[in-house]
Amino acid sequence: MSAGELLLRAEKCSIEFGGLRALEDFDLEIRRGDLKGLIGPNGAGKTTAFNLLTGVYRPSSGNILVGGQRVNGLQPHQINRLGLARTFQNIRLFKGLCAVDNVRVACLAESTPLISKERLEPLRKRGGVSAAVANALDATNNYYDWWRALLLTPGFQQEERDLASKAERLLEVMGLSHRRDEEARNLPYGEQRRLEIARALGTRPKVLLLDEPAAGMNTREKADLMALIRQLRDRFSLGILVIEHDMKLVMGICEEITVLDHGETIARDTPEKVRNDPKVIEAYLGEPYRISDPREARP
Amino acid sequence: MGVSPSSGLRGWTRGVAPLALAVAVLSVLQLGLNAWDSYADGQAALGAEVFRPDFLVYLSSLVAVNVVLTVSLNIVNGMTGQFSIGHAGFMAVGAYIAGKLSFEVKELAISGLPHAVSDQVLFTLSLLAGGAAAALCGFLVGLPSLRLKGDYLAIVTLGFGEIIRVVVQNTPALGAALGISGIPQHSSLFMVWLWVFITVLAARRIANSSHGRSLWAIREDEVAAEAMGVNTTGYKVRSFVVSSFFAGIAGGLFAHFVPIINPGSFTFVKSMEVVVMVVAGGLGSTTGAILAAVMLTLLPEGLRSLFLAVGGGDASLAQKVDQVRMPVYGVLLVVLMLVRPQGLFGTKEIWDVLPKWLPRLPRAPNSPPARGKEAA
Repeated sequence: MSAGELLLRAEKCSIEFGGLRALEDFDLEIRRGDLKGLIGPNGAGKTTAFNLLTGVYRPSSGNILVGGQRVNGLQPHQINRLGLARTFQNIRLFKGLCAVDNVRVACLAESTPLISKERLEPLRKRGGVSAAVANALDATNNYYDWWRALLLTPGFQQEERDLASKAERLLEVMGLSHRRDEEARNLPYGEQRRLEIARALGTRPKVLLLDEPAAGMNTREKADLMALIRQLRDRFSLGILVIEHDMKLVMGICEEITVLDHGETIARDTPEKVRNDPKVIEAYLGEPYRISDPREARP
Repeated sequence: MGVSPSSGLRGWTRGVAPLALAVAVLSVLQLGLNAWDSYADGQAALGAEVFRPDFLVYLSSLVAVNVVLTVSLNIVNGMTGQFSIGHAGFMAVGAYIAGKLSFEVKELAISGLPHAVSDQVLFTLSLLAGGAAAALCGFLVGLPSLRLKGDYLAIVTLGFGEIIRVVVQNTPALGAALGISGIPQHSSLFMVWLWVFITVLAARRIANSSHGRSLWAIREDEVAAEAMGVNTTGYKVRSFVVSSFFAGIAGGLFAHFVPIINPGSFTFVKSMEVVVMVVAGGLGSTTGAILAAVMLTLLPEGLRSLFLAVGGGDASLAQKVDQVRMPVYGVLLVVLMLVRPQGLFGTKEIWDVLPKWLPRLPRAPNSPPARGKEAA
């Protein structure tokens, strides 16, 4: 099953907030084509794990590798550009922008910079003054890019057209073409969730992290979503990690489930085994209350 | 850039044509004005009094400077959603650098060019120097404060505006509290409105580009923008630099048509005036910013004329207009917040709110079409 290229790996990641260990020794591996789940009771540290992976928090210890590159301490946008995209538990669309613009923001332009990244990278690796020079040159690149926008250069216009068609294609994939010019805040809930996925796909991710994609959906929408997630994985050959409270959905689509409780990984296995794991049941339902069997009491 | 030359040429036309058109139209206006001036001179020599539009030109320059200020501040406050309240500081930097440069070189002329042309070339150079200096200040102020989320920018820019003012006030080379007088009066109708056009064009093109969309995204949700690969700090700083540049240009233009620049012209009150204009026009609406700037610049002038008429030519009454202007702005802002918190146009542009039967420009991608609104 896990034969694809290794895309994302967390090694013994921990994070502390003050004295609170929100996550301890968290391990994870996402390969191309994987569809894994992350579950746990409220406050178990699932979203913290997401924030750790996407760079919102920096791990107190442990390593996170995206495509083999260590990303501890990188900014979220840098990690995103390495191929990690996410959705949010409480939808965070750009509410005032129309649907297609939401996706277009995420669609990163393949611009042709003044000074190519290939030339900058070795400079930056050398560190010290060279790195500073590299950063300055990169900033020059950015300002040059704005000039192209101000002068509406032909190359820039072409880029804009490419972006628009890419965004429209993604809307089509997510079945939102008819909402193209609708402000995001006016979309129904389920469509907002799908728009968020479309937006995440716009960044051309290798790994997609979905934070409770089915929250607030009805049964019918959930079933559609399950099919869609599978379809996305195959179509874009992604690795997908899903946080979900809905057991039916998680058990239905995930091939491996990691269970967190109080920041600790208490189980990692196939859905069937996780379902019957006593530790998992205990985490969700509490310790089994033993009714003393009257027969045992008898001499 | 990977585009065939023929389509490339067409593409360039689209980018440059509006500017060429503006230059042509403004040249015609300027030449007409010059012709009228020489006609008036001729009539004056004959002893006849002819109407001279000097005051109107002055007023239009004032309007233009405020439009440049408002539209540029709108890039930061409106599109990016950061709150800067030190725009007068950047204006002061531009005004003093450009003014001082022009003052120093006013005896010079470029050989081989007619005097008027040489003057305008030097003027343009000092304007650009002023703009660049303001942009540099914007970069230095923005870089540390825009890394943070929240309202730090407001405090830092407020401080910056005051620092600039106090520094100028205590620098003898810049005329200290007395200011610089005798800056050559190079701001022509042509130059001033050309810069208005450039500013508006730049603002609109930014708003409609991928860069602008990133700015809108930062305004809407910074965390999500960051997660979607938008370098939020970089974009905020860049928008701030662009905004500061145009503020500097506005300052430079201002310095070349008012008889004297002194620190009193660049106080916090001036910054607030620009903020009020931006908010009144609608945060994020370029045309709203233009309209608000025009209205709020002409309002005190109109009131002054009105008071003069009512007071039967009593100048002291008219002078009071300047004193009551800020309270009036305050009340205006409160009323606006109560009645129409999103400003005149909200984030829309004027063509989005015009009646449907009017011919309209291509729709801005960031604003929903009128049709979509009705369906919602």
